[in-house]
Amino acid sequence: MVKELELSTNEKELIISGLKEGIRLDGRGIDDFRSLKITLGPEYGRSEVKLGDTKVLAKVSCEVARPYPDRPNEGMLTLNTELSPMAFAGLEPGRPSEEEVLVSRILEKAIKINRAVDVEGLCIVANELAWSIHVDVHFLDNDGNIIDAACIAAISALSHFRRPDVTVIGEDVTIHPVDQRNPVPLSIHHTPICVTFAFFENGDLWVVDPSLKEEQIRRGDMIIAINNHKEICVLSKAGGLPLEMLTIIQCSKLAASKVDWVREKIQDAIANAAEVEKRKTLREIIIDD
Amino acid sequence: MKHSKPTERTKVKVVLPGDTVSLDVTTPGITLGPGLIQAGDSISCTKAGFLVRSGSIYWVENDQKRYIPETGEHVVGRISGKGGEFYRVDIGSAHQAILPFLAFENATKKNRPNLNIGDLIYARVALANKDMDPELQCLNPMNNKADGFGKLEGGMVLKCSLRYCQRLLTQETDICKLLGQVLQFEVSIGMNGRVWLSSDTIKHISLVYNVLKQAEALNNSECKALVNKLAV
Amino acid sequence: MCIITVLLILISLMDGRRANELRKIKCKPSVLSQADGSAYIEQGNTKCLAAVYGPRETRQKAQLIHNKANINVEISLAPFSMPQERKKRSKSDRRLLEIASAVKQTFEPIIMTNLFARSQIDIYLQILQFDGGTIQICINAATLALIDAGIPMQEYVCACSAGCHENHTLLDLNNAEEMADTPELTVALLPMSGKLTLLQMDSRLHVDKLEPVMNLAALGCKEIYQTLDETVREYVKDLFQKSSPY
Repeated sequence: MVKELELSTNEKELIISGLKEGIRLDGRGIDDFRSLKITLGPEYGRSEVKLGDTKVLAKVSCEVARPYPDRPNEGMLTLNTELSPMAFAGLEPGRPSEEEVLVSRILEKAIKINRAVDVEGLCIVANELAWSIHVDVHFLDNDGNIIDAACIAAISALSHFRRPDVTVIGEDVTIHPVDQRNPVPLSIHHTPICVTFAFFENGDLWVVDPSLKEEQIRRGDMIIAINNHKEICVLSKAGGLPLEMLTIIQCSKLAASKVDWVREKIQDAIANAAEVEKRKTLREIIIDD
Repeated sequence: MKHSKPTERTKVKVVLPGDTVSLDVTTPGITLGPGLIQAGDSISCTKAGFLVRSGSIYWVENDQKRYIPETGEHVVGRISGKGGEFYRVDIGSAHQAILPFLAFENATKKNRPNLNIGDLIYARVALANKDMDPELQCLNPMNNKADGFGKLEGGMVLKCSLRYCQRLLTQETDICKLLGQVLQFEVSIGMNGRVWLSSDTIKHISLVYNVLKQAEALNNSECKALVNKLAV
Repeated sequence: MCIITVLLILISLMDGRRANELRKIKCKPSVLSQADGSAYIEQGNTKCLAAVYGPRETRQKAQLIHNKANINVEISLAPFSMPQERKKRSKSDRRLLEIASAVKQTFEPIIMTNLFARSQIDIYLQILQFDGGTIQICINAATLALIDAGIPMQEYVCACSAGCHENHTLLDLNNAEEMADTPELTVALLPMSGKLTLLQMDSRLHVDKLEPVMNLAALGCKEIYQTLDETVREYVKDLFQKSSPY
């Protein structure tokens, strides 16, 4: 922890006393997310998420590659979540920090290992050609809870992304350029969305979507990722404050309702982006004429 | 803490690094403040901001957040460590500052101040130059009294730009006065971009914190509108 | 994969266990001479060795905490631990780093770190044979090693995994069962207070099924606690008898 970011005793005491009365520093309720703004586009697969002051950018790209020898019928999905010193003061290059490992593992588990994206549908010719999808997540500004923001960015970017259309006739493989044939969206099985809880004192005080100051004084945390089938994809309470089983069950139920709220926001953003796209194509048709 | 009203201050123009300022170098008594440098016969700017003049003193005002310590300024610091005969204090500058145990009112070798790591203090920069770690003191050098310096109890710290702190201190922005009509609160403004604030209840402290944070980007009439919305 | 599914449906696991039965546990404290505390644990076919050093001087000044001890956990998976292939896993392997971080954060509130300010407690874990259940065996081994080192702790931390297959809950999954995509929840419990310190789940489980699976895992933890406790008491009794002049 960089010396400059450490909190004084006054601030720590104030935040805890506030939580005891149900007051958070930015005026939110205990189980409220900060204002969430998702911007998709202009290119397919680009998503910028602002969760309060935390800003994350996700970009999806694709290329054609050879499938892995032990998985000849599947495409590849790679997630890259490197933390940069731009958002994280005090980060040293070289060995990945604890936070970086946690972020990359949670996203990998939620999206890749739980097969959110249909990788079998990405195969073009078994053993020879398959689509390799790369999701690059960039952290621009850290004001706490980068995992939830990164997950929203990655999922919305994947939902928005379009890959070039491919026709396979016998041995002949044609990859149609984007301007000749409309690109095709990815086949997404389910959409996991993360909700992070932070716990204070002896487990009686907790908040949803902790800000940076709250993260610094938390004594434990829990990350739950729930998909649209109400299944828990990832549940990670990696140590920290010991909690009652009842608290955990309550939090999981609360997370299920929060996830619905976030999913609505993502749907709205996708709908908005589709509108903008439609208007742009119409304008182009009119101008061409 | 009493602060004298500033002398007449006029904004001359917007400048960028490298711009030359057309001033008569031969005129005696011109003082160049931060952001201006004399290169031979001409004066050029090193920072982007407003060129400001007060009497015969010229300087550049900008929106930087990082504090460079200057002797005599008052700062809000956080105790980050204990050395042999001093505390290490984080004031947001490039180096941690030193606060000797004896730089307090009525401090003697036997009578040490009772501060812990994490405590907030209001202090005066006793010594600052580019070659050494800055030194602080928690007393007024004129009369060796505490005069408001020392440990700050409770409350909250707001981090903002240096310019905003100056505006708060010189009351160029009305936000403190306007907010004071609605709520009772106290502030200790540090020139290092840190403002300590406190009020009677947690809700009020949180309110003051958020209002001061938002008011940084607002002018006086917008501040008035914000406070009016609060009073409702 | 389908063979395993069929067997799971028969509620009898590959190694002949019942659905709610733990794998066989063998544990022994104080197996290393150089470490301040050590332990060896076997859960079924997974074998783990733990060594604890500390409290000792912090090696890096940046890791020094002024009012608590710093806990450092390193986990390595031996190249010969996997039955299929001899693969050397680097210490920076993300999966192992994640588990190490989880173990460290599990013990941070349990070890009385405020008694040893500015020092460091090192926990080294070596997996000698791998058959599933990495996190749980690391935590159980670390608990035993810390007790052996005499480092004051609030209580034992015992970990166990449980899964769910077609409405049947299963306890303590081995590698084959883990690979078969059954949702698996690893839980670390403080047996006396009943509070949970660690929960990890990587595969999909319906929200409503969380409670029964968690309860089963907690029961498993309590059973493991019994075994660990018996071992420690035997060992201490033994030591006492040896050191007694009569």
